[in-house]
Amino acid sequence: MKNYFSIITAAVALLLMSACQKGEINSLNTPVVGNITSNPTRSDLFNLVTGIESGMRNNLAGYLDGVGVIGREIYRFSGSEPRYTTDLLGGGSRVLDNNTFYLTNPWGSRYQVMRQCFILLEATNNARTAIASDVQKKAFAGFAHTILGYQLLLNINMTDSSGARIPVRNGAALGPIITDPGIVMDSVLKFLEEGKAELTGADVMFPLSNGFAGFKDAAGLLRFNRALAARVLIYKKQWAAALTALNESFFDLNGSLNTGVYHYFSTNGGDLANTLYLAPNTNGEVRVSHPSYATNIIPGDDRLTKTALRNAPISQNGLTGSRDVVVWNSLNAPVSIIRNEELILIYAEAKIQSNAIPDAITALNRIRSLHNLTPYAGAITQAALITELLYNRRYSLFMEGHRWVDLRRYNLLGTLPKDRPDDDVWARYPLPQSESNL
Amino acid sequence: MHLPKTGLLVLLFLCNTLALFAQQNISGKIRDAVNGKPIPGVTVRVQGTNRGAISDASGNYTLAVPSGTATLIVSFTGYKTQTIKMTPGSNVGDITMEEDFAKLDEIVVTGLATSVKRSNLANTVVTINANQLAGTAPAQTFDAALSGKVPGALITANSGAPGGGISVKMRGITSVFGNSQPLYVVDGIFFNNSSIPAGLNDVTGAATAGNPNNQDNPSSRIADLNPADIENIEVLKGASAAALYGAKAAAGVVIVTTKKGRAGKTKVSVNQETGFAKVRHLMGVRTFNADRAADLAGSADNTDPVIQQRRQAFRDQYNAAAAAGKIFDYEKEMYGETGLILNTGLSVSGGTDKTTFYLSGNRRQEEGIVKNTGYFNNSVRLNVDHKLTDRISLGVTMNYIHSNADRGLTNNDNNGVTYGVALSSTPDFVDLYPNELGEYPRNPFAASNPLETRDKMENNEMTNRFVGGGNLEIRLQQSEHSSTKFIGRGGVDYFNYKTAALFPRDLQFEENALQGHSIQGNTNNINTNLGGFFANTFTPNENVSLTSTLGATLETGFMDNIVTVATNLVAGQSNLDASANTTTRQFRQKYRDNGLFIQEDLSLLDAITLSGGVRFDRSTNNGDYKKYYVFPKAAASWNIARMKFWGVDKIQSLKLRAAYGQSGNVPPYGSKFTAMLGSNIGGLPGVLVDNLLGNADIEPERQSEFETGIDISAWDGRINLEATYYNKRIQDVLLRHALPGSSGYANEWKNSGDLRNKGIEIGLTVIPVNTKNVRWSSTINWWRNRSRVTTLLIPPYAIGAFGNSLGTFYLEEGEPATQIKGTVGGELKLIGNSEPKFQMSFFDEITVFKNLSLRFLIHWKKGGDNINLTQLLTDLGQTSFDYDDEMKGQKAGVYRTGAGDASIYVQDASYVRIREIGLYYNVPLKRTNVVKGIRFGVSANNFFTWTDYVGYDPEVSNFGSNTITTSSSRGSNGLSTGVDVTPFPASKRASFHVGVDF
Repeated sequence: MKNYFSIITAAVALLLMSACQKGEINSLNTPVVGNITSNPTRSDLFNLVTGIESGMRNNLAGYLDGVGVIGREIYRFSGSEPRYTTDLLGGGSRVLDNNTFYLTNPWGSRYQVMRQCFILLEATNNARTAIASDVQKKAFAGFAHTILGYQLLLNINMTDSSGARIPVRNGAALGPIITDPGIVMDSVLKFLEEGKAELTGADVMFPLSNGFAGFKDAAGLLRFNRALAARVLIYKKQWAAALTALNESFFDLNGSLNTGVYHYFSTNGGDLANTLYLAPNTNGEVRVSHPSYATNIIPGDDRLTKTALRNAPISQNGLTGSRDVVVWNSLNAPVSIIRNEELILIYAEAKIQSNAIPDAITALNRIRSLHNLTPYAGAITQAALITELLYNRRYSLFMEGHRWVDLRRYNLLGTLPKDRPDDDVWARYPLPQSESNL
Repeated sequence: MHLPKTGLLVLLFLCNTLALFAQQNISGKIRDAVNGKPIPGVTVRVQGTNRGAISDASGNYTLAVPSGTATLIVSFTGYKTQTIKMTPGSNVGDITMEEDFAKLDEIVVTGLATSVKRSNLANTVVTINANQLAGTAPAQTFDAALSGKVPGALITANSGAPGGGISVKMRGITSVFGNSQPLYVVDGIFFNNSSIPAGLNDVTGAATAGNPNNQDNPSSRIADLNPADIENIEVLKGASAAALYGAKAAAGVVIVTTKKGRAGKTKVSVNQETGFAKVRHLMGVRTFNADRAADLAGSADNTDPVIQQRRQAFRDQYNAAAAAGKIFDYEKEMYGETGLILNTGLSVSGGTDKTTFYLSGNRRQEEGIVKNTGYFNNSVRLNVDHKLTDRISLGVTMNYIHSNADRGLTNNDNNGVTYGVALSSTPDFVDLYPNELGEYPRNPFAASNPLETRDKMENNEMTNRFVGGGNLEIRLQQSEHSSTKFIGRGGVDYFNYKTAALFPRDLQFEENALQGHSIQGNTNNINTNLGGFFANTFTPNENVSLTSTLGATLETGFMDNIVTVATNLVAGQSNLDASANTTTRQFRQKYRDNGLFIQEDLSLLDAITLSGGVRFDRSTNNGDYKKYYVFPKAAASWNIARMKFWGVDKIQSLKLRAAYGQSGNVPPYGSKFTAMLGSNIGGLPGVLVDNLLGNADIEPERQSEFETGIDISAWDGRINLEATYYNKRIQDVLLRHALPGSSGYANEWKNSGDLRNKGIEIGLTVIPVNTKNVRWSSTINWWRNRSRVTTLLIPPYAIGAFGNSLGTFYLEEGEPATQIKGTVGGELKLIGNSEPKFQMSFFDEITVFKNLSLRFLIHWKKGGDNINLTQLLTDLGQTSFDYDDEMKGQKAGVYRTGAGDASIYVQDASYVRIREIGLYYNVPLKRTNVVKGIRFGVSANNFFTWTDYVGYDPEVSNFGSNTITTSSSRGSNGLSTGVDVTPFPASKRASFHVGVDF
């Protein structure tokens, strides 16, 4: 009896003691923001930069699909997601929803990257000089500010006068909704200017993917930064400033159209595949060009090859398309952020608007000739040239997120076709519902 | 827990303090007072001693009693306990026992180490016995067997896929983002009930667009438990009853007690169930004709020549198919299989006075209603109880389970690959059957050919699980007025869970995309729980009894989930390294919770019970892992009919009761961190801030529940009424509340409001007929719950489903937590509520000539809306069975999709269902030596349903119920049931049973 007692008591005591581990259980799976910003290592900083570059791709397909569908560049058919053919086209009495994936997902992902940019800025600021020297820190900051501007631009492109908020540093209170897109774009420019200042004379130590091939050093990033600024400046109708920015960018009237900065995609482990690629002639999940893409194109224009005729047309919800979008040819295909073809068109636009017509025509003809068209022979008026410019922007930048924005800039949304009687052409997305959660 | 039938533990607690005097032997036979059947297993003991005996299989007992013995106590579960006064020198002889219809003498567990007679209980505790659980019409899995049997609970099957998956909500909404499912305790071991996704999302993309929550809908691990091993279940529904389980008990506790051996002859029992499963209901499909086929391309008045050409092509295709007789019903083809059910159970039990054992093995094999799906479960259990000495007893339980489920590919997806989504846009005139070479045609109407997907893919979940535990009781001290015992209890629940989702590269949706997926997950999970309790019972006189309990508990858990996704597979291979690309994800979680508690129970005159206790809890999941949170409880009951002044003979029990208690719900693991998730590009490793903002100050939710009621038992227990009202408040509700997207975060963990659930539960059991040859007992339960968000510190927000335009759950102060809002005519409006208006169940048991019994359970759920997106998808795919009916001047399918009215797809999901019906016959055996009993039976499970709901079944949940949240995927929340997106159709079952006892 006594024996049993002592044995059992000892066993229970041992069990209790061994079971009583002490201490906090920390995050087992991922780094935690607080730890990474307070005293970063060099690899921490690199990881943050990579996260920014990688994060820019999240929900990019949703963004391009949305603006592509509303801008009548494509139809997006999906067996399981009706709202590409209902809400986005205003089918029936449908309207754009302020709490649905086509808005909230890209919107959230862009601000998420902006948050990460501020995390990088904070971490860089707290990094010891042994980790990164001042000029090296400037490169981190310049990259962060450049991307901040770019990401904010994409969101204000969606919501326009529904507004957006200017992102703020970690821990600061959120600012108001700004419903004047011009003011938001001023902020975009301000971020880009800060980035420009920092990148000037900076030393880039961090790695970037091959999407930035040719632009991985400070000078390259600076040219990228200025190219983005040129885009914003034409949106702001600051034509002279746009031309100045172009001169500091990688704009090259005679260069390759595809020189530029891209989102890198890959099916490799741990990477993201390019979901904008859908194999031609498949069913269910489909991107086909809007029928007007083929009917409005000038015969012989090689930009028709951005689409490919399907074996059989495909229909959903009363809409039919017969040409698959083949801008991206595989799951590994890159997606452009900004490239020289757009810069040439920005140059042309700024020149038309500054009444430097011959320069504009030179630029337009450069684009036309590279796409198998004869030189421009239309009227030499600003209005006619703008029409010609918009034609080229439509076909040169097909599914790169421009047409809808361009038509809105020029007040031409009314010219977009409505395929079904009750369809609508939306001028902007609503402000996401979550923005009222303060 | 009932008092174990062996009575061994009873004997143990008694001390042999009396000197042995001259003895005398008494013997006799114990029978049922009404039908005269002998009762085996009855405990007869001498009051105040540990001396006793147990009746054998024929009801006979023999007991040596010391002379001078005054009183014998005769007790058996389900019968009224009798006290027999002895006259010296006489033999008691035969005893007849009366059935305890009202279960007033039943012992119910109320604390971790204490129990109380039901007649003195201050809470409603639902007890489900083996007959109700598996003895009517057995369900496929344990969780499904609870449906309709727990008043106060809303139990919903998530999916009809083999292997289960059930949401159990006790007394309304307990938590939104914390754990909303009850704690399962099996023989003192905390039984893990998580649902771990298999990574199907990589193929379906279900969580990539409308809703970020995982929609793999895996089975719940509680399904592993073998229902045939269960002796009984007690359900503690809220904090007032379950407070002593502390921070895990907020959503209720389901206490499962498995069978134990009995001293005496070894008993061998073999049971065989053979049956079939069929789909409960098919929705039907649209019948096409040439015009309807042409309309798939665009309307007749469309001037686009492409569309007109396309119309003609469809028309021709339809006419050709019709002429060749190739019009198919693919819904029936996919879901119309008849599955074979084979369920074999073997148990051996017996023992001696010192040691008893129960050994069982069970093999369940079931085919699903979809080809290549099914469920297979093997389990072995050994329960051994041993008395080391008069003072020390030890119980050990061990359970090994192997379960294997092939679940097909169903529910929501964004890639057009699941069976249902593919079917929703596939018309009847396309031929999807393989040719003579076995090649499947490409489905021109969807991203996948569902027949091909079904025949080539695999979605398997395999679990190997060991659950073991021990229970040690030591009587430290015993005197005339006081006894003290120590109880030590520990358990380990370990499982390895292997998932394999294989999609060969030649599937329609793989061949031009990622060219095959092999997604293999491996999860190791271990949970332990350990507790030590001291309990002292002080009885100064026979009218007063005071029980004090002091205890400490510790629970730990560690889960390691690794999922590897291989794409671009080598043809015909499933091995992860036979692929061009692999990605691996890992998620680990770990916690350590511990608690201390004290409890005092006072019993006066066997009529008044007062009880109070307090528990201190902490957890590493809390923001402050060192802080103890305090959860008090108190309860009182007064059984007026037991007072001396009571004079109403017909009413044996009239009890007023009230109880109050608090418990917590710890925050989910990781909610205090803002994670940086892996995000790589071009071979560079990167981290990207998660869009879920952690909260370093996160605290447990606190639930306070008050319950009060009245219990009446009259006419010898032939009429019993239990009525309960409760008010359950949840403070500091844990919410993953929506932040403005412009903050860079989508959600933040925050204790951000209060919920309230009020409800009523009424149970009436009557025994209208109780004669020698016919006995009929009938139980009617009625219950309802109303939940409300009483405080919301954050702005109202949408938390579930797929956005406003399709109807969404919406948390808003002052409104029901379960309300559904949606866009109607461009405005956000209230369009439904997922909470039932009330539920009702009828359980009846009719026994004729002792041996033939009929049992049935009818369940009525009134109200409660579903978000029916299955109908939306079939409307959009133009395949709804009623697509061509006229609605508001248009075709129904056209009207419903174009109306811009989310309320059209939010639909009443009321139903009346005969959940279980079974007819059993015990073959009366003449004296045989070998065979002791033979049973035959037929049963039907969920066979008959009446509902207006358009869908496979009104019970459905696209999001599952307790899917874990990992760093890269969001699990299910406490509100998400009732969203219907092309689920695995529910099945009904019918079986034939044979049982033989040796």
